[in-house]
Amino acid sequence: MKLLRRIPAPVWLLAPALLFVAAMALFPLGSALVLSFRQWRLTRSTEPGPFIGLENYVLLFTDDPEFLESLWATFVFVTSDVAATLAVALGAALLLRRAGRVNSLARVLLILPFVMSPALIGISFRFFLNPEFGIAQFLIGQVIPALEGKVWLADRTLAMAAVVASDLWHWAPYMTLVILGGLASIPAETEEAARVDGASEWAVFRDVTLPQLLPVLGIVLVLKTVFALKAFDTIFTLTNGGPGTSTQTLAYFVYHTAFNYYDMGYAAAAAWVLTALLLALSGFYLRLLFRKR
Amino acid sequence: MDRRQIMQAAAAAAGLAATTGLRAQQAAAVLKPGKPFAGQTVNVLSVVAPQFSAHEAMLPEFERLTGIQVKYQYIPFASMREKLTAELVAKTDQYDVLSVMDVWGPSLYPMFEPLNARIADKGIDMAARYPNAHLRAARDGNGAGRNVLGFPLRGHVQLMFYRKDVFDRLGIKPPSTWDDMVEAGRKVQAGSDLSGVAMYYGKTGGQNLMIWINYLWGMGGDLLDAQGNPAFASPEGIAATQAYVDVLLKHKVAPAGSASFNETDAVNSVAQGKSAMVPVWWWRYAGLTDAKTSTLKPEQIGFAPLPSMPGKPATTYTNTWFYGINAHSKRKDATMEFLTWLSHPSVERAVLLDKTKNEVVAVQNSNLLDADVNARFGGMHRAGHEGLKGARGVPLFPQWPQMSDILEATMNEIATGQAQVKPALEAAASRARRALRG
Repeated sequence: MKLLRRIPAPVWLLAPALLFVAAMALFPLGSALVLSFRQWRLTRSTEPGPFIGLENYVLLFTDDPEFLESLWATFVFVTSDVAATLAVALGAALLLRRAGRVNSLARVLLILPFVMSPALIGISFRFFLNPEFGIAQFLIGQVIPALEGKVWLADRTLAMAAVVASDLWHWAPYMTLVILGGLASIPAETEEAARVDGASEWAVFRDVTLPQLLPVLGIVLVLKTVFALKAFDTIFTLTNGGPGTSTQTLAYFVYHTAFNYYDMGYAAAAAWVLTALLLALSGFYLRLLFRKR
Repeated sequence: MDRRQIMQAAAAAAGLAATTGLRAQQAAAVLKPGKPFAGQTVNVLSVVAPQFSAHEAMLPEFERLTGIQVKYQYIPFASMREKLTAELVAKTDQYDVLSVMDVWGPSLYPMFEPLNARIADKGIDMAARYPNAHLRAARDGNGAGRNVLGFPLRGHVQLMFYRKDVFDRLGIKPPSTWDDMVEAGRKVQAGSDLSGVAMYYGKTGGQNLMIWINYLWGMGGDLLDAQGNPAFASPEGIAATQAYVDVLLKHKVAPAGSASFNETDAVNSVAQGKSAMVPVWWWRYAGLTDAKTSTLKPEQIGFAPLPSMPGKPATTYTNTWFYGINAHSKRKDATMEFLTWLSHPSVERAVLLDKTKNEVVAVQNSNLLDADVNARFGGMHRAGHEGLKGARGVPLFPQWPQMSDILEATMNEIATGQAQVKPALEAAASRARRALRG
């Protein structure tokens, strides 16, 4: 009893949340980590097999070209997706920053893509890009004649572009709202003072707005990178990792190793590579963010 | 609704009532008397299919006969295997009935209760009831074992569907060989604004392998050799694959979109009046002729056996779903009672003849040869029964899903021009060898 009384109140208050996080996140993570050191082919047994040390990890990096291709596809997808989302969201936020009825309505409408299911977005984009009926396929062909008649989902580069575009459509509006929040918190006087001093609009943005917005952009960067790294539904419904394996990202690789190959230990190892990547990137971004502050 | 439609609906309702009464009588004969399992609830894990919804609609009849309640939970096809995998590992008794597709079976055998004794007790002659092509899906030992693990309920053969009106106008005969199909496609493209044949080389659950396998068998090739090693990179396999992708790449009688089409896209291409032919599962007939999903009328759609190689018999790849009893179920007797009723030929027949639906799927010999069923669907089931005699299912082995995944990506790479046939198949064979060792 005495020992219990010594535990400070904040710990008690935090305990339910900590227990919940432990049960919902830490336990599965730990369980997957243990599994990643074991051999477990569901085609052989419904029980996990023997411990094999680092063999699953060694195989991933030395004897699995599909995994290495997935790493590359993940890199291409994440970098282009994050860059595009950041650029579009920042541009849209700057456009919608000013007060006005149209802008207010647009801000409300921005939430719509975000609330849609990613799987549904993938299916919709598949229809948009259908070479026979797709509206996007038709419009793009009209605007860019070189792409007229192109079968988007049968071309490596265009299929990746389609996956990025669908994810961009899903996330850019939400990130716009986040950046709008950041813009609203910037004191108007700082920008007005710069204008009074004769700074151009570009100079105001570059030297006054952007530096104050950096913490928010940092958060957007971290969030979007994490979301892009674990993107799965859209890829599954839009390209199924194709053509070939060109849009098969790490998250998709983990899924199909576990549920098509039934190789649970190996899939757990790949999942931990993805987790380590997520943790490292998040840590790096957050450090950068707080150092700035 | 005009007077004629009201009369038709009334006649259909009267017919349905009469057949329902007869069906109840027939099905009741195989159930245990005295409702010994009344009050129990049987939970069914089923894939989404209109046929299974039709079964669910008939449940009040079963519940009246036995006092057993039945609850269905539907899972979309794309998620079904994951769901079954979760059940395999969790070993729960949440579901009493599990539905499984043939090629998944070998990796999921431990989930099922062998039914031999129960089937013998019910006096059901499985070999007489089902074509072997479907029955093998429900046997253990990779289709050749002693134990029956379930009742085949949904099974398909492949047919060539074509635009009958266009073929008649242009004087084209339904193709009997793959070369004929290319030639018919050329004539269609020359005489109309349609594409010749909607193929599907895209990636979705191994769908781009289902026609390819017929090319492979037609050329005398196979997936595995006698020792169980990958054999598809043989000269026959290379020739078959080349012929398969040449429909799009060389002969250009398939719409360009075929490179990324899945099965549904290809069927839609015909249903929306863009292509003249599609080689596909027979259950797609409903989508090709249903006014809700198609611009075509039933009389515009013809069907023929799947083409073959010159001088070779027609082949068809079969696909079978079976319902079995969860090995961990605590209500196995009641569940067997339900499966006995559900698998009764009269239940399948009632769904086929229900004019409020357009359901063509049948797996039982008596219904495949039934005069009324064939009259309703223009002889499609008799043609299916013929096809099933020479049908070859895909080899059943635990690593098939992995091999299918490797081959699907390879086929897609070849059809999209990213890889050449020989090196791509050799690379796939090398990866498949590794999978088979695992």
